[in-house]
Amino acid sequence: MFTLSPERWQEISPYLDQALSLPEAERAAWLESFRAQRPDLVDVLQELLKEHGALAREHFLERGPMEPANELFLRGRTIGAYRLISPIGQGGMGSVWLAERSDGRFDRRVAVKFLNFAVGAQGGAERFKREGRILGQLAHPHVAELIDAGLTPNDEPYLVLEHIDGEPIDQYCDQHALNVDARITLFLDVLSAVTHAHANLIVHRDIKPSNVLVRNDGQVKLLDFGIAKLLPSGEVPSPATQVTLEGGGALTPYFAAPEQVTAGAITTATDVYALGVLLYLLLTGRHPAGPGPHSPADLVKAITETEPLRASDTVTSADDAKSVAEKRATATEKLRRQLRGDLDTILGKALKKNPRERYGSVVTLADDLQRYLKQQPISTRPDTLRYRTAKFVRRNRTAVAFAALALVAVIAGLAGTLIQARTARRQRDSAVRERDRANRVTEFITDMFKVSDPSEARGNSITAREILDKASKDIDTGLSKDPEIQAQMMSVMADVYDGLGLYPRAESLLTRAVEIRRGVLGPQHPDTLESKRLLGWVLQEEGRYAEAEKLQRETLEDDRRVLGSDHPDTLSSINRLSGTLMLEGRYAQAETLAREAFDGKQRVLGPDDPSTLSSMNNLGGIIRMEGRYAEAEKLLRETLDIERRVLGPDHPTTLSSMYNLAYTLKEEGHYAEAEELQRETLDIERRVFGPEHLTTLTSMNVLALIVKGQGRYAEAETLLRQALDISRRVLGPEHPRTADLVYNLGCIAALKGDREQALALIREAVDHGLMARLGASEIEQDPDLKSLHGDPRFAALIAHAKKQAASQSSH
Amino acid sequence: MPLESEPNLSALMEAAERGDSSAVDRLFAALYSELRRLARRELGRQGLPITLGATSLLHQAYLEIAGKDGTSFPDRARFMAYAAGVMRGLIIDYARSRHAQKRGGLFEITSLEADAENAVDDRSLAQVSEALDELAKAESELCEIVDLKFFCGFTFAEIAAMRTVSERTVQRQWEKARIYLHRKIRTDLES
Repeated sequence: MFTLSPERWQEISPYLDQALSLPEAERAAWLESFRAQRPDLVDVLQELLKEHGALAREHFLERGPMEPANELFLRGRTIGAYRLISPIGQGGMGSVWLAERSDGRFDRRVAVKFLNFAVGAQGGAERFKREGRILGQLAHPHVAELIDAGLTPNDEPYLVLEHIDGEPIDQYCDQHALNVDARITLFLDVLSAVTHAHANLIVHRDIKPSNVLVRNDGQVKLLDFGIAKLLPSGEVPSPATQVTLEGGGALTPYFAAPEQVTAGAITTATDVYALGVLLYLLLTGRHPAGPGPHSPADLVKAITETEPLRASDTVTSADDAKSVAEKRATATEKLRRQLRGDLDTILGKALKKNPRERYGSVVTLADDLQRYLKQQPISTRPDTLRYRTAKFVRRNRTAVAFAALALVAVIAGLAGTLIQARTARRQRDSAVRERDRANRVTEFITDMFKVSDPSEARGNSITAREILDKASKDIDTGLSKDPEIQAQMMSVMADVYDGLGLYPRAESLLTRAVEIRRGVLGPQHPDTLESKRLLGWVLQEEGRYAEAEKLQRETLEDDRRVLGSDHPDTLSSINRLSGTLMLEGRYAQAETLAREAFDGKQRVLGPDDPSTLSSMNNLGGIIRMEGRYAEAEKLLRETLDIERRVLGPDHPTTLSSMYNLAYTLKEEGHYAEAEELQRETLDIERRVFGPEHLTTLTSMNVLALIVKGQGRYAEAETLLRQALDISRRVLGPEHPRTADLVYNLGCIAALKGDREQALALIREAVDHGLMARLGASEIEQDPDLKSLHGDPRFAALIAHAKKQAASQSSH
Repeated sequence: MPLESEPNLSALMEAAERGDSSAVDRLFAALYSELRRLARRELGRQGLPITLGATSLLHQAYLEIAGKDGTSFPDRARFMAYAAGVMRGLIIDYARSRHAQKRGGLFEITSLEADAENAVDDRSLAQVSEALDELAKAESELCEIVDLKFFCGFTFAEIAAMRTVSERTVQRQWEKARIYLHRKIRTDLES
């Protein structure tokens, strides 16, 4: 052993330079000659060269100290009412600090999370704070509380969160060697937190172990709920972009759902998927994509295409199978048997590639897990062979580009087939066959769009729209010589536009189709009537009730004359006209027609026919509007019973009855049942129709009314504002549904005592289409607006509404 | 009361190089506050960047101070050598205070992945710093290389350009410095 005095070092340093600049192989020989030259230094030099070998092995100083510059300068800084103490984490979004109140008013440690994005100009800051306040109301024992959201003087957004001292759930489970049942029990706490958030319309989007902490006392806490919501739209980096931007690493989307990777619509089903991955990890110790490491590209492929290995197979195939089982307080074979069957099935359903095939809600997932724990049969059936063979088709449906190509081919093929059918008409036999074929293709294309619900199609609805837009152009030029086929194609495409919620497009195509068919086939031809029926329906969806009514009455007369009063199409016309009348507030007339349709359909189609049920439901809704709640409730319950049995829980008509029944229960004051039912309805509708569909919006509105009825004004307001945002964007500011939402917000303002805002909102609603369905006297007598009575401005507003109503009916 | 006018950095650097120890302290203090000021400004301007690199901070400090001090400002290499030493001081002070807090139980790790990956923990950072002070006495050039490379994150090529030597030379100096430090820390631990 020697010491390195400065003098010693200076003496030896030049020789060290020499030795280091030599290739390793020549060093030994050089050292020998050096020994002869400087016997006093050779041992030291040799030791130092040995030291050099250790450097590489130990990676000595190869990685710099953690970039501390941010921390250096943030420590001690005061953010809002909090003083930063020390950094506790660094996420993709920004840094997280432990902090305390700077005014010492509360002795409580919090976490301050800086969000690394700009809130943007034009109300971005306001929006951020508002959303932050909403999230702050999301109180749940298993959700880390959001205490505050604000902006630093430099407009850097930050959140103040409950500080959770715990460890990620997977590590916690392993360290405590929790068995399968204990893990599931803990996981159920996670589910209750997610359920609560979903009920408040908040999707997490980023559920993963580091966001699910377990404290020492065994309490689960979910972090970062709704943070994605705070980001300005367009700021949310999809995991797919993260992969391309970051080249994997820390941001590899291990817990991303397929729709996140393919930039599809994010819904509550996205969280269901991430929860499935988390449960899979907790039960098997492995990611469903199989043992890593995964390159980002592999992972994306695994997420979007590869069916995960069954959990029970995973635990036996792993190299560390024994230790995985031990951490679950069991043996490998026992663990395999435990996972096999129900748990495999439950995981399989949660991890479906297609969001609509997953559990419809977190509640149903929790329900199955609870059944498993209680050893009751679960609701989900194992995958059938049919399911497995259908995989290929399903996969392609999610591939946006592919679907688009397929569509072009179908449209081209359809046009060709139709032309063929026409030319072949002379040869009767083959004409019939070709025609059937053409009809099948027509149905196919129509279904293709109807099936793709708007939520899934949102990413590709633009593409779909482009194709349709192009096809409509092709129709004008390419098929103009063949008006009959042209009109049929127009009807088909209009139906597709209608399914996508693009009503004005559907309307213009149908208007032309009616014109063409009227000219070519005559005004009384069944095909002409069909186009007119569709056009009436679209007009009603657009909220243009007066026009819809006029057209529907005209069509109905023709229907009766041409098809007869008992024809199913005639009965449907009657039903739809009654719906329009109800929307116009003319309930008595609506009821008469609805009964006629219902009776006729029962007689002609039978009591279980979907069309009959639709009329029965419609009648129930009208009776409710007339205030005969007990009668409406009885009829709707009956309807719903049959629908659940015959049509299933996800059918649009079933959903409509659920909505009507919930509404009725609310009117009767049975708020708890109403709310439960309406939340279920909304949950399914979000999944089936997508979060921005007209039907979903209507349901959000009713849920808000139910919540309002229970005095929870803030919650109702949140719901209404969300619905209004969507409605303005999707339906437009002049749509009666938009006006309804604005009016209801006005009622909330009045109930909260904010007269100014109430008056402004009601005025806005009156000026933008409210009077199409509400009389001024109804506003005057609305009990929600009691606080405005006696205010001269309210009286003036009523007078104004009367004038608006008058001018509306004169149009 | 009029403020005592501060001699500019080039004057301080010259005095320091002449062996004026009070000038060394003042130079250190001036650079220290300058770097802090710059960092704070950057943090404020860019809205909390995830990493505010020491390298970019030093570059910026050089550009600004050179601009202020005018044509008489000394060369970039000398400035960087001083500033990198100051940066080391900042980092070591910071690591010490963090270490103290951890031991005091004030600091709980929840999900600090970055910390786990940090190759050099706070305590060995302090040892490196002490060994570096010794190295400065033995061969100050090597000490500067460590400040630039390890604490400030400059690449070999950047350092080579700064000092107008070959990259190979810088690499060899870096190896020598590491040998010294490794040996020093090991013998300190054993003795």
